[in-house]
Amino acid sequence: MSGFDRYLKDVLESATEEARRQGAATVEAEHLLLAIAAAGSPALDAAGLDQAAIRAALDREFAHSLATVGVSAAAFDLPPATPAKDRRLQPGASVRLALERTFVAAAGRDPQPAHLLLGILAAEVGIVPRALALAGFDRVALIARVHG
Amino acid sequence: MSDDPADALAAVAALRRLADQLEDAAVEQAMRAGWGWPKVAEALGVTRQAVHKKHLKRLEAAGVELRRR
Repeated sequence: MSGFDRYLKDVLESATEEARRQGAATVEAEHLLLAIAAAGSPALDAAGLDQAAIRAALDREFAHSLATVGVSAAAFDLPPATPAKDRRLQPGASVRLALERTFVAAAGRDPQPAHLLLGILAAEVGIVPRALALAGFDRVALIARVHG
Repeated sequence: MSDDPADALAAVAALRRLADQLEDAAVEQAMRAGWGWPKVAEALGVTRQAVHKKHLKRLEAAGVELRRR
């Protein structure tokens, strides 16, 4: 297994755990981004996007998007559900797109971890770009920083 | 409602996520309160098989005492 394959397998596993903890039906780009931050990313750290900052941005996006249709995430006050350890979570559409874009970013060379981050950051719509924008992070500047 | 289509689309995605989280929490609450699978399924508007398949192992692992009926 190449270095990148090993990295991808590890962060996907960690993203799957994250998705399971959140009770998500699929593993999505936001879970992958949290896993990348947890694994350590110089570009994310340099931008001030540690895992806590990303989580806060994602929570804010969730509340904001629900609020646009008059729904309050805070009104959900049932005790948290026990996570489903048995549920087989598959990568969802946003992860599949991020992986396609990872290989585009690598441009025929062996992908590196930074290409995976670029694959996620390339999305112009969806939860991750909305969360970054709402939290005041400049996605395009972040892409430039990763290209560094 | 905002004029930006991205807002309405993001709201759909967020509502789906909220519904998934709410379903897990609500089914667990009902089963802990002693409801049976058929009643939970009927209240959710899904088949008994669907709710059983989705939640049985999770609730067993959580130590919830499950009624068969």
